[in-house]
Amino acid sequence: MALLEVSGLKTYFKTQEGTLKAVDGIDFNLEKGQAMGLAGESGCGKTTAALSIMKLLPANGYIAGGSINFMGQDMSQVTGDKLRAIRWRDISIIFQGAMNALNPVKRVGDQITEPILLHEKVEEEVAVKRVRELFELVGINPNRIKEYPHEFSGGMRQRVMIAMALACRPKLVICDEPTTALDVMIQAQILQLLKNLQQELELAMIIISHDLSVLAETCELLSIMYAGKIVERSTAVEVFANPQHPYTKGLIGAFPNIKGERRMPQSIAGNPPNLIHAPKGCRFAERCLVAQDVCKVEEPPLVEVLPGHFAACHFVKERR
Amino acid sequence: MVKDIIQVNNLQVWFPVRRGFVESLTSKEQMFVKAVDGVSFNIKEREIFCLVGESGCGKTTTGKAILRLVEPTGGTVKYAGVGLTPAMIKQAASEAVGKKHITKQEAEKNITEGAVSVRVLAKDKMKLLRQKMQIIFQDPYESLNPKQSIYDIVAEPLVVNNLGANESEREKRVQKALDDAGLRPPKDFMWRYPHEVSGGQRQRVGIAGALVLQPAFLVADEPVSMLDVSIRSEILKLMLDLREKKGLTYLFITHDLSVAYVFSDRIGIMYLGKIVELGPTEEVIKGPRHPYTKALISVVPKPDPRMKTDKIILKGERPDPAHIPPGCRFHPRCPFAMEQCKVAEPKPMFVSQEHWVSCWLESGEGKA
Repeated sequence: MALLEVSGLKTYFKTQEGTLKAVDGIDFNLEKGQAMGLAGESGCGKTTAALSIMKLLPANGYIAGGSINFMGQDMSQVTGDKLRAIRWRDISIIFQGAMNALNPVKRVGDQITEPILLHEKVEEEVAVKRVRELFELVGINPNRIKEYPHEFSGGMRQRVMIAMALACRPKLVICDEPTTALDVMIQAQILQLLKNLQQELELAMIIISHDLSVLAETCELLSIMYAGKIVERSTAVEVFANPQHPYTKGLIGAFPNIKGERRMPQSIAGNPPNLIHAPKGCRFAERCLVAQDVCKVEEPPLVEVLPGHFAACHFVKERR
Repeated sequence: MVKDIIQVNNLQVWFPVRRGFVESLTSKEQMFVKAVDGVSFNIKEREIFCLVGESGCGKTTTGKAILRLVEPTGGTVKYAGVGLTPAMIKQAASEAVGKKHITKQEAEKNITEGAVSVRVLAKDKMKLLRQKMQIIFQDPYESLNPKQSIYDIVAEPLVVNNLGANESEREKRVQKALDDAGLRPPKDFMWRYPHEVSGGQRQRVGIAGALVLQPAFLVADEPVSMLDVSIRSEILKLMLDLREKKGLTYLFITHDLSVAYVFSDRIGIMYLGKIVELGPTEEVIKGPRHPYTKALISVVPKPDPRMKTDKIILKGERPDPAHIPPGCRFHPRCPFAMEQCKVAEPKPMFVSQEHWVSCWLESGEGKA
């Protein structure tokens, strides 16, 4: 059984203009120790999907359908104390711009011991010892646990946040844009750290990013989201080698490649659709270069094109 | 020969570190944050010159110092007076002499060379010159006033500079600028507010605001880094189109080498307030000479998991520009640092006609 099974997940938001269907039926499985990338433009629902798994949706958001199964438990049934026990101990999350999420008036060490003491009945010395180990793991001098957040640089604060997410030895870590606010050099350091940690600790990871090249470097599996749906899903190598959906092709083509020839990348014209009044047919039809009449009327299902490679487009051939 | 439109020579921007009362009494030495510490380059007409570096290396400060949005503390910046008449230059120079900003000889030199020294220009003349030199800011979500309509935002420079005889003429110029920036038809966008348009369109509003004064030179400070990848190249293409149509020259500031690679003509790699390598884009990216450039290129994420390259990941982070290391400022992080690097600062050395590098590993091939 997979560690995490998401099937038919729908997450909607109530707004004044109507119901916003931020996530509209997505499925994926994640095994122990696997890293999956979730890619897409801003507003495609990738962060909402992650918040749904953690049950951290804002007050006007709700899960309208589908199921999330984590380690055999149905997450919709888990509430109150039980939910609190799962968060951080089993699943933890590193938020976007996380380095600004540290409390500026508390020592970083204390901020990390707090969840350990809350979740596990251990002595404070044991917790502090673990924090020192965690610091070593993420590449910070353990003697710095007594320092305050302002004494750390951006990259170091991001490391502190990663140490904090790992404090209770979770099985699944969700990283929401872990390197977006960082410099290229620091980004390379953090990505390498995440990859090493994932292999060393056999962590399952969901990495959310709009930057395909970041995911290409860290993830084994890759799902491409567009307007609340997964439009293509496979291993990262397969998606890059053999993209099926026109949107995936567009996204890959939009990246300048420093190792390739020198030419201006192609952009995808237009904007994503309004998710309050989502279009009837394929959601990408309006921006798609190969769209036909059928695309505007009928929504294409996600079908298996090659072994383990799924795509949702009228013009891909289903595997027999 | 192609004219240089911008000449920057040994530009310095030092910010004094504020001292406490007690410290000032004990008369410790005044410290400076050396954000820009001796930068020299020139930009030819219709060229895209790109400054690349990590955050805090001084690339934005360099751009701002050229426009005098921050005051340079040393060096010279010259703008070949395309937009200013010789009389204007003359008057500016004599005023500067009057205020003892420069000596008479310097003023004369300025005029004979037909260039305006931006650094010593009087404030009101600088305002005139800025009509020819504009800036596009990084974040279109923060740089546009949410309470102003797009018309007001784009018309603001006209109001400030007292241009356009009446409202209808201003409107015409705003429409023209919006049209140039690809917001078509302009009438559909003019009366909207920033929150009613998408991120890419916001950045186009920022560009329209810069274009409305019909500048010849634009500083573009990370104009695409806040945008989704799928629309980045649209904005870059717009900027290339504008260069074709209007003969614009750009100083493009970015931390993203892969964008610089596809977009610029020449690249300058900055580290801790200094340019360490400068040359034609293709040459610098395909044949980097400075260890820092090599490291930067190696860590750019490749959009393909099949491409595995050896990364040179530098340890630690860049040092504080208030405490610049002696010798080569890169030596504490350099994998090839030698004894010499800790003592003496390397001079720029030409490795080909237009490509130079400051590194002791490259010594002995002729001085820059």
